[in-house]
Formats: sequence, structure tokens, C-alpha cells
Amino acid sequence: MRVGMPHMGNIYIAFKALFERLDVDFVVPPVNNQHALSLGVRHSPEGLCIPFKLTLANLIEAAEMGADTLIMPAGYGVCRLGYYYKNQEQILRDLGYKFEMVPIGVSEQKLSGILKVIKRLSNNASWYRILSAFRFGIAKLNALDRMERAVHKVRPVERIKGTANRIFAKAVKAIDEADDYGSLNRVQKDYIEQLEQVPRSARRPLIVGITGEFYVLLEPFSNLDIENELGRLGVEVRRTTFVSEWTKFSLFLNALGVNEKERIHKAARPYLKRDIGGDGWESVGDKVLHAKKYDGLIHVAPFTCMPEIIAQNIMPSTKENIPVLTILCDEQLAKPGMLTRVEAFVDLLERKRRQPPNNH
Amino acid sequence: MIRVGIPRALLYYEYYPMWHTFFHELGAEVVVSPQTTEAILSSGSSRVVAETCLPVKAFLGHVIYLAGKCDYVFIPALRSIKTKVYNCSKFLGLPDMTRAVIPESPPILEIDIDVNKGKRRLYQTIYKLGRHFTWDPLKVKRASLAAWQAHLDYRELMSSCGLTPLQAIEKIYGTAETKPKSNSQSGNSTSPRASVAVIGHPYLLYDEHLSHRILHRLEKAHSKVFVPEMLTTQELDSAVARLVGRAYWTYEEEVVGAGEHYLTGQADGVIGIMAFGCGPDSLMMDMVHRKAASLRTKPLMVLNLEEHTADTGVITRLEAFLDMIHRRKRRQVPSCV
Repeated sequence: MRVGMPHMGNIYIAFKALFERLDVDFVVPPVNNQHALSLGVRHSPEGLCIPFKLTLANLIEAAEMGADTLIMPAGYGVCRLGYYYKNQEQILRDLGYKFEMVPIGVSEQKLSGILKVIKRLSNNASWYRILSAFRFGIAKLNALDRMERAVHKVRPVERIKGTANRIFAKAVKAIDEADDYGSLNRVQKDYIEQLEQVPRSARRPLIVGITGEFYVLLEPFSNLDIENELGRLGVEVRRTTFVSEWTKFSLFLNALGVNEKERIHKAARPYLKRDIGGDGWESVGDKVLHAKKYDGLIHVAPFTCMPEIIAQNIMPSTKENIPVLTILCDEQLAKPGMLTRVEAFVDLLERKRRQPPNNH
Repeated sequence: MIRVGIPRALLYYEYYPMWHTFFHELGAEVVVSPQTTEAILSSGSSRVVAETCLPVKAFLGHVIYLAGKCDYVFIPALRSIKTKVYNCSKFLGLPDMTRAVIPESPPILEIDIDVNKGKRRLYQTIYKLGRHFTWDPLKVKRASLAAWQAHLDYRELMSSCGLTPLQAIEKIYGTAETKPKSNSQSGNSTSPRASVAVIGHPYLLYDEHLSHRILHRLEKAHSKVFVPEMLTTQELDSAVARLVGRAYWTYEEEVVGAGEHYLTGQADGVIGIMAFGCGPDSLMMDMVHRKAASLRTKPLMVLNLEEHTADTGVITRLEAFLDMIHRRKRRQVPSCV
């Protein structure tokens, strides 16, 4: 059996660690690039969003590398995502691949269901091995996100542009290669220290929140690496979603009745009373909640994303006022266009900051 | 008397008799907006971001029309009407979105329908809606039972007599505004040249402005028209199960179910109607499309509608499609007879 799954940011590192510990043959398709995008676009129905197209391309490439078991996130909810695996399975079969599709749904199967799927894929490994491998995978996720948070802070103020990115790339590689807790901790400490020693300028960076749909938020290729571009323009990015946090809550704490999003939902409630699927409720809540704290907010969403269209329509009507730039991501979005808009937005925020507040 | 406005869009086609009965029993007057016009559509689409889907833009236009003409406007947030089968986000966010983009809209009567939360919760929400009109829980109960019965009668009328929702509503309420046009079943003097199934959501199919009167045009071309509502729930459910297994979307039957049924059944060709940017349809139509491609027996044409779609374009494609069907039929009949 050879297992493959689609990319989303660096999440493959955690899954690779998990499956390697269980001696499962796990293939990692090439990271998302222009080739993958065209491949996905070629085989997808036109009205679908970029997450569908990219994940389809990853699955095709994994199947091409000999994977016969494909994992695809699913689960019941309101977003289209839960339906993807059905179409993707059909598309791959029509292309002539032979494989088994394994949908994994956090909302549907909960932690126990996911562990059972892993047990089946790992050829009935003992529960002890599965749990320890799972724990190690999560440790890697945490390490990656810790790095990323640190990079967000350094990028806007580094003296020599690109230093933080170079360190981050090395850190990701080192985290991927670490094969026990000892080396994982060492690597983290090492690179966090390196990041802290990067020479910085003294200026206070603008703070821009970045919110929106889960996949385009977390897959840099799909949003044309917007965080990096903002960092280059001297803006400190505060991303609202991190995979490690999401896993922590959706797999463990939500089952115990902790709802980390209650605060965001409460903030959104005067404008949007109910969950509309995907991350639409959170997008509205983030705007309301962070209006005072941030200089601006960037809202990223895939083109034709249903929940985010609702959010985009509701956002301008909130009393809490903060500049919002919505960027819709699809295969037509080109870097120069995105950059022009982001630069103009940052200019606007700079000017706003320079002006004394109540001046109208 | 309290006047309740019901926009003639989206769920209207599915539930109008139910809603009408409910509000009528509670002593309210029901005001329905007229059929969609260009003015209604463009007033709606001027309020929202461009990629909002066509039926939602039309819906907002209807709400704008109703502003000032009623005391409340009824906008339900229909989350789920079957266990673990959910509706599109646009239906869920409808009341909130309307409030955000149409500040002048009359107060919105909203109701959250989610059967996953249990019967008790459902009854509570219905009572909460009824509280706008009466304090008497029994009266609300009577009204909701009558409404449910009206809904069942409506469905029954459509599947047993082969009526479209518009014809059924006309039959129940005798509204004069729909023209007494000949029904495909009764009035046609010549026998139909071809039978065409049209699949899609009722709010697209039966909105004559949005669908460019496609049903009417097909009938005029002497085709017999099948629509999803002519099938029974059982037929639709089993067709969905054959094609995709467990249903995921609330209105999966209208597209996947009807598509599967007609592709393998009696129609000569199938026309799928969807709106540009419709999330669920982009996936469901693709499933039907793939089924048609693998069967290779019947032609399928998918029309993607948006504001820029012009009558002429639709007509040209319809004519070409019908020509193809006619030619295929001629070939099937032995020509020497």
C-alpha cells in the first residue's frame, strides 16, 4: 500500500512523520507550483474553487507516483469541501487510475474515527504505536507553527530582506528531518535563536490581520505568498488561523466542550447570527474583533467560495471600522495585479497612521 | 392586519403554499412580489459584490421591491431539512446578508430550520415565529399543521398531475397573472416531436426572467418537457443513491437525482440549468455530466446563466440542441418506412 494526500502549506511534514513511524509507504507529491495548477485546472469543472483544483492536481500527481490509497479531507458541513472527494474520485477514475479514496472528516469522524482510519492504513499497528506516532506528528505541526509565528515578527523589520525566509526554509527542512523529540526540540531552539538574532530596524511596523478561507490562508501558493509580500513591504502579519491550533481544538478540546471561536462568533453575531459554513462567520467576527487592534485587514478567499461571498457582502456594514482588502484567489490571479492592490492598501494604511485620528 | 411580504424568489417555488397557509392561518395578509423583471434584478445586483450568484441577486431585488409595501418580510434561514444534509451557505446567510445590504428592508421575520437540532428545537423556532402574530401556542400549532398539510398537497399535486410549481400554485390560488398557456400534457394538438428533461433548481427553472422562459420555448417547439418536480420523492432519492450515494446537499435531488433519472429514463435529451458561481451546482452538474459521458446514450446540455446571458444566445443553443435531438430520432427510425 502506498499512501498519498494533497498539500496544504507544510502539513505534509507532520503526516510524513506520522506515517514513517508506522512504516507506511507515504508519497509526497511535488509542492504546489504552476504545473500543478494547470494540471488541476485542466481536469476540474470550471466553476470550482482553487482548493479543489490544487488538491485534485496533488492527488493526480500522487497517483502518478504510484499511490494506491489517497487521503482527502471531507466531512459534513455547509462548504463544498465535503463533496470534493466524490468528484475527485470520479475524475481520477475517468483518467484511468486505480486507487482507494479515503475521506477523512474531522467534523464527522472525530479523533477516534481518524485514528481508526490510520490504524487501517498502517496495517493494524498497535494502538500504542499509533498514538505515539500521532503525538509526534502533532509535535512537528506545533514546531512548524512556532517557527512561522516567529518569522511573521521578523520579516517586516529585518535589515536585510530575505534573511528570515532563508532561516525559515532551513528550519522547515530541519524539522522535516528531525526523527525524535530531542532533535526536534534542539532544532526549534536553534532556529528561534537564529531568528531572534537577525538585525532589525527600529521602525514600528504596520499590523495587518489576515483572515478568510482556511485553505487559501494556509497554502502560500494559492494566495501567491501574500504574507511574504506583506512582510517585504514592512507589514507585520497576524494570521488568524494556524494548523496546530486548529488541530488542537477540533480534535481534542472541542470534544470537551471548549469552543475557542466563541469570542469571534459573539463579535460577529450582531451582523451574522449563524454559522454559514466554511469560515464565513469567523471572517466577519475577525473584522469586528480586531477593528481596534490592527491597522488593516486582508480577507483572502477562493473565487466562488460561497461562505466568503456572504462574509464579503456583510463586512462593509459593520459599525466597527477598519480598512479591509478582499483578495479572491484563483488561477487567474497574477502576482503583479495582487501586488499592486496590496501596495496601494499598505500606502493607504501608512497615510492613515500618519494622520491624527479624528480629523474629519 | 399585519402584512407579510414574501419575495418571489429562491425558496418561494418550493414552499409558497406552506408559507401562505401558515401566515394566513395566523391572520396575516401575504404580499408577494411580482415576477422578476430586469429592474428588480438590476436593483438587487447593484447592492452586492459581483460574484454573488444570480438567484440571490434576484432575491434581493424582490426584497427591495417589497420595502414599504409590507410590515415584515419573511426570510427563512434553511440550514437542514434532512439529517446531516445541509443547504448552501447563501440560504443560511440570507437574512443577515439582506439586513447588511438593504438597510431599508422591512423588519425581517427569520426562522432557523435545522432538523439536526431535534424536533423540540424545531417546534420552538416555529412558535417563536408565530409569536409575532399571536400569543396562543395552540393557534400556532394549528397554523403549522395546516401549513404542513398544504405543503404535502402541493407536492402531491405536482407529482400526480405532472404540473410545474407555477402551474400548481396557479391551480391552488387561481392567480391570474400567469397566462393560460397550453400545458404540454393537455393542450397540444400535435404530438410532441421530442421529449426534453430540464433539470435544475426551481428558482431558476420557473423564474421566467432568469431562465429566459426556457420551458415555454421548449413547449413552443413542440417538445414534451419533463421537470424534476414531476418525479416522486422515492424516484429522486433512489436516483441520487445510484449516482453519488448519500446526498450531501439539500437540493441534490433536483439536479443529481433528476439528471440520473432522466438520463437513464424516458427523455430524449437533458438540459441542465445552473447559475454562474453556484457552489453546489458546479459539483453536482459535473457528476451528471460525467454520467452522461459514460452512458453515451443521451445528449446533455448545460446552460450557465448570469446577468449577461442574452435571450438570443439561449435561443441559439436551444435550437441547436433540439435540431440534434430531432436528427438523432430520425436516424433511429428506419428510413425506408
